[in-house]
Amino acid sequence: MSDPLWARSIDTLAPDIRDGKLSAVRVIETALERIDALDGRINAFICRAPDPLGAARAADRDISAGKWRGPLHGLPVAIKDNYFTADMPTTAGTSAAGIEFPRRDSACVAKLRAAGAIPIGKTRTHEFAWGNVTPPTRNPWDLDRVPSGSSGGSGAAVAARLCVAGTGSDTGGSIRMPAAVCGTVGFKPTFGRVSREGIVPHTWSLDHAGPLTRCVADAAHMLNVLAGYDAADPGSRDEPVPDYTQALSQSVKDVRIGICRRHFFEGNQEDVEHAVERAVDDLAAQGARIVEFDMPLLEYGLGAVFAIELASSTAYHDVSLREHRTQEFQPDVRSLVEIGRFVTGADYLKAEQYRWLLMEAFRDVFASVDIVLTPTMPLTAWKVGEWTVPVGGREESVLSASWRFTYPFNLTGLPAISVPCGFDRGHLPIGLQLAGKPFDELTVLRVAHAYEREHDWHLRVPAVASAESSARSA
Amino acid sequence: MTTTRALDPYADILGVDLPASRVKENVEAFARIAAEIRKLRSLDLTAVHPPIVFDATLVYRRPKAQDP
Repeated sequence: MSDPLWARSIDTLAPDIRDGKLSAVRVIETALERIDALDGRINAFICRAPDPLGAARAADRDISAGKWRGPLHGLPVAIKDNYFTADMPTTAGTSAAGIEFPRRDSACVAKLRAAGAIPIGKTRTHEFAWGNVTPPTRNPWDLDRVPSGSSGGSGAAVAARLCVAGTGSDTGGSIRMPAAVCGTVGFKPTFGRVSREGIVPHTWSLDHAGPLTRCVADAAHMLNVLAGYDAADPGSRDEPVPDYTQALSQSVKDVRIGICRRHFFEGNQEDVEHAVERAVDDLAAQGARIVEFDMPLLEYGLGAVFAIELASSTAYHDVSLREHRTQEFQPDVRSLVEIGRFVTGADYLKAEQYRWLLMEAFRDVFASVDIVLTPTMPLTAWKVGEWTVPVGGREESVLSASWRFTYPFNLTGLPAISVPCGFDRGHLPIGLQLAGKPFDELTVLRVAHAYEREHDWHLRVPAVASAESSARSA
Repeated sequence: MTTTRALDPYADILGVDLPASRVKENVEAFARIAAEIRKLRSLDLTAVHPPIVFDATLVYRRPKAQDP
């Protein structure tokens, strides 16, 4: 028996749509029905597209006429609410008065539409993409827990099978963290690989755009559409864009996988540590070579990423700050934007100097490894309202614990993916992070797919999502 | 004779235009972050050029910004 429509990925839906065995209208109807049934509890979406069925009918007409545009044609994707969209308002998660964004498509949304994808709605972000939570979105694996953030709406929507893929933005981990705790794939490509044009800035030199998907193959399909030079993004790089699906189903024999025990394997929740160690063993069993390395410099990273994020975000919100609009921001975001004033110019530049050293350190490591493997996060999803969590045998603030494995790859701009690698004893997903050399997304996808195809973690569905479909089909 | 008012470290130097109670809350919230930034300050990076490199030609190669 084949999987129900809602459970199928881009990789399996696309051939049937292309061959006329399945209509885009049916796929979009299914997504809309699921959003109607489930999103009242999950709250992944802040708004819905005005006419996705009209877009689906147009897609079916085009495909019937032999104008299939590629694997995303006719499929429902969710757009994070900090990407501009012509047909839906953008709020960047704020309800503060006097802050409005243009009604036009961002570069990524324009590319998705050109590829035939159907934006089905805007997914929630924590305000201005700050933070590691996404209120009021809940984690589909446990509705009392957070989906992390700031792309928590896309993470929850993909995990609950409300769409085939979502977009995210990642300044310190905001694609990979929701992916990890929601049990999805989240891919932050190299800085400069995907245009940020038309995405509300958080921190100009750390912001990355990328997809959240159900599996690695779908991340490759999304990146095939999203990648490419855009002169309108000052950070964009004119590098050759390969077909990322060629990374799939390749062997990892003799791929060198780097492990840094310092920082990345210190103070993890026990179940996270065990799951990631098993992943290391699994890849070694497939023929990968494990190479241990050390990087003492990581000890200084948190101060650097804070200095750059706080100074940049405060600069971006300077007018709001001076006109006292920040009083209407969420309390945590208001504090972060206001305290950015305490970061001095010298602190900011020193953080940038540190960043150069960190880039050099990773360049040296990548002379002897192809991939760096870490947990995505030291913890699994925490309860809504919790600000400290037990990690590595002690209580730690979520603010410092949640992103400590992800931000080094924002400081260095390196491509990094999170793939599901198991569940903790509370049945909550765990994420495995794989990072690569600049613009070597192919190797990242290759190793991620090699790991994924030996497991079924990515096929497991939260009870709330599968129960709904059972009830409907009964 | 001209007299010069002493500068307020928050309002005049850091540009923090907030009530004193709010400044106090923010200073407390910043304490943990400040500890990390102090660690960063302890590094001797005198010889390191930051990755921000001024490029006099960039503005000629980029289209004009559409929106903020």
